[in-house]
Amino acid sequence: MINYILRRILVAIPLLLVMSLVTFLAINLAPGNFFDSLKLDPQFSEETIQHYESLYHLDKPVIVQYFYWLKNLLKFDLGYSFFYNCSVKKIIAGRLLNTLLLSVVSLIFTWIIAIPLGIIAAVKRNRFADRFFSLISFVGLSIPSFFFALLLLYFASQTGILPLGGMRSANFDSLNTLERLFDIAKHIIIPTLVISASAFAGLQRIMRGSLLDVLRQQYILTARAKGLPENKVIYFHALRNAINPLITVFGYEFSGLLSGAALTEIICSWPGLGSLLLAAVRAQDIYLVMASMMMGGILLLAGNLVSDILLAWADPRIRYE
Amino acid sequence: MKKQDKKQNNNNLTFLNNLKKLPFVAVVFLFIFVCISGFAESDKYGGQIVLATTSDPRSFNPVLAKETSTTAITGIIFEGLTRTNGETLEIEPNLAESWEIRQDGLSWVFRLRNDVFWTDGKKFTADDVIFTFNELIYNPNIPNSSRDIFTIEGKTFQLKKIDDYTVEFILPVKFAPFLRSMSQEILPKHALENAVKQNKFNFTWGTDTSPKDIIGTGPYQLKEYFPGERIVLEKNPRYWRVSKDDDRLPYIEKIIYLIVQSQDTDLLKFQDGEIDYYGLRGSDYPLLKPQEKTGNFTIYDTGASFGSNFLVFNLNTSINPKTGRTYIDKNKLSWFLNIDFRKAVAHAIDKQKIIEILMNGLGYEQNSSMSQSSGYFYNPNVTKYNYDLDKAKEILKNAGFFDRNNDGIIEDKDGNKVEFNLFTNSGSTERIQIASIIRKDLQNLGMKVNFMALEFNNLVSKLTSTFDWDAIIIGLTGGIEPHFGKNVWDSSGQLHMWHPKQAKPDTEWEKRVDGIFNQGVQELNDKKRKVLYDEWQYIISEELPVIYTVLPASIFAVRNKFGNLKPTPYGGAFHNLEEIYIKKECRK
Repeated sequence: MINYILRRILVAIPLLLVMSLVTFLAINLAPGNFFDSLKLDPQFSEETIQHYESLYHLDKPVIVQYFYWLKNLLKFDLGYSFFYNCSVKKIIAGRLLNTLLLSVVSLIFTWIIAIPLGIIAAVKRNRFADRFFSLISFVGLSIPSFFFALLLLYFASQTGILPLGGMRSANFDSLNTLERLFDIAKHIIIPTLVISASAFAGLQRIMRGSLLDVLRQQYILTARAKGLPENKVIYFHALRNAINPLITVFGYEFSGLLSGAALTEIICSWPGLGSLLLAAVRAQDIYLVMASMMMGGILLLAGNLVSDILLAWADPRIRYE
Repeated sequence: MKKQDKKQNNNNLTFLNNLKKLPFVAVVFLFIFVCISGFAESDKYGGQIVLATTSDPRSFNPVLAKETSTTAITGIIFEGLTRTNGETLEIEPNLAESWEIRQDGLSWVFRLRNDVFWTDGKKFTADDVIFTFNELIYNPNIPNSSRDIFTIEGKTFQLKKIDDYTVEFILPVKFAPFLRSMSQEILPKHALENAVKQNKFNFTWGTDTSPKDIIGTGPYQLKEYFPGERIVLEKNPRYWRVSKDDDRLPYIEKIIYLIVQSQDTDLLKFQDGEIDYYGLRGSDYPLLKPQEKTGNFTIYDTGASFGSNFLVFNLNTSINPKTGRTYIDKNKLSWFLNIDFRKAVAHAIDKQKIIEILMNGLGYEQNSSMSQSSGYFYNPNVTKYNYDLDKAKEILKNAGFFDRNNDGIIEDKDGNKVEFNLFTNSGSTERIQIASIIRKDLQNLGMKVNFMALEFNNLVSKLTSTFDWDAIIIGLTGGIEPHFGKNVWDSSGQLHMWHPKQAKPDTEWEKRVDGIFNQGVQELNDKKRKVLYDEWQYIISEELPVIYTVLPASIFAVRNKFGNLKPTPYGGAFHNLEEIYIKKECRK
């Protein structure tokens, strides 16, 4: 097993290199660079802009820029953000925790809700509960998340129950620890609901479908014929076998931990990576974009690895040699 | 709700108790009132103001970063030697208490205030001024746009320290906007000297700096910054300015900027009472106006704003060295170069319709190159092009453009269909809407216009390097000093969009405009300067290198809790921030 993991990690390195090169070239396909936006400001002379460009090697060919970037990366230097006048590492570190908090909370929330509801829907197939949850799932799947977010914000502004976006109240400093926790909890409700709405729907459908598949198997019939109680049949025999597709989904969701919530973050003014990266892409703040793409890539590879390991752990039939 | 009821009850009780003692209380109050009425006015201190901004500041370093998201913050932390009064637009003393002009405008001697302290307690002196200019702005290792302003014909200002509180600026040539440009923020030598020596200034005072390390002289100092969330500024207790009533300024204790991601969230938060100020788009007006009373705010319409939107045609007659031809098709170029063609277009643009549709009637037609709100140098007497389709068609016909084969599209003398591309930047919905209205207007003239919204950087590279465009709708932020637009109007300027970077002026009128800008910058007599810039605005309106559209009104809603509020289009609602106080009943 350890051999297998090491091999996967070794394979990941050239993969990441190729990915970074392609990303870097793709970003540079767009015309112009970050400092072009200064060119329409009458207060900037051409010389000043050229000075900026040479300061960050933007006047060199793209491939040379790439190697500058790679060289710095080996020194664990992610580069400098032109947009925020600050090192990329510091900017991302400042926002990373906020995004992780939101993603992890909504991930947990989604799974806690979706798995039991999927099981109920499968067990009570074609009965009222199943139809009702299906309806909710389809609504959740089809409603665009930005629209749902705006609806919830409108609801919040009309009722005044929940805060309108952001992560902390203006008077956060004057609160004690418990109140602070409560304050953040209040702010996290709307974005969590928005992210969970669509994620929940998919997961619930997968859980239902895969459990139904298993319930049709011969060994379930055997279990029932043995006279096992129904809940033992479902929770011990069926669920154990139905969980595999969910583990694979989990691996993919892992890769979305940092970027999956971007749209919701932007609408709900959540101070995470989403709005930061959108601004970075639009302004061609290349090193910040590169850093975020690389993080996404690493998480995707790591997520796949984790889900493969989990699969082997959950299902004794799967072995890696 | 419950809590409030309780409070009310309590108040009622105390009120009843007090009722019994009323005569006594009244006498005491009268006595106190008579005694302290002299001080009663100065009970203006305290409270906080909550504002919103849609983007994070990029830096706290005013030399390196000049975007509005940054200057909104650095503008209250730092000060210059002079400042522009937000109401009268006059230049007034700031860190310098007075100045005198010597040698016919080539030497300016500033007498600095000697009661100014940096927020860390060190005294502000002439060394800081000299440091800011010599070590920062003129430092070749620090790219900054201020250097472009303070370099005239390739020469820099010489600074001379006369004593600790007197500085002399020696100019290479006369520079009329000198005093206004002296609003350049002065930075503390003692705090930044080391960073400059180690060549680290370019990375100093970025947004990752600890707030207490950012040292200014302004009315407020940085207290906290949470990226993506909020910026908190608190009163600078050492601030030097006192009010007319001898109150030490500023009055308001704290300024909180909430960072919101979109203007819609901003609006919701304003309606919710969370923030005290909201800058309206025309489309917000019908929504907010009826809520003025219930929401306890007032909407101020201060007049035309400064950001222009205009249509510009490519008049670039230079030869592309790569192809040996002009940058655009020579037929197209010949139409655009035809002044009658541009005049007809100007007559065909329905500015009122743009104002009605885009801004709910809250906008102003723009005819001059300067905004109506820019004060002294604004020339209202320029050629105006009223919306008149018949006249436009007639002008076109006389110039040889009319529909020869009845296909609905006009042709030029050689029978070429008049068809061209119109671009604008995809980031601005306002411009896209203006473009689609103008496109419709031009189609009414029988022109075929293909409209496309491009990414901003793509548009910029077309404007400044590839020159392969026909017509563009773009805008510039204007100001009150015409000289700062020189890069646009001078024919050698990079932003002379219709024909940039000319070796020598291509047309007679461009030659005259170059002359005006060269003369205007050296003319110290304001009246004579005005004559010059009036002529420039007139020439532009006659020659139409750019066809102006509309200026949105500068309207904003402010919660009814402030005293001393004097909103203006130039300064906005809070240009006199340090004098504004929160009314006692609104303070918590």
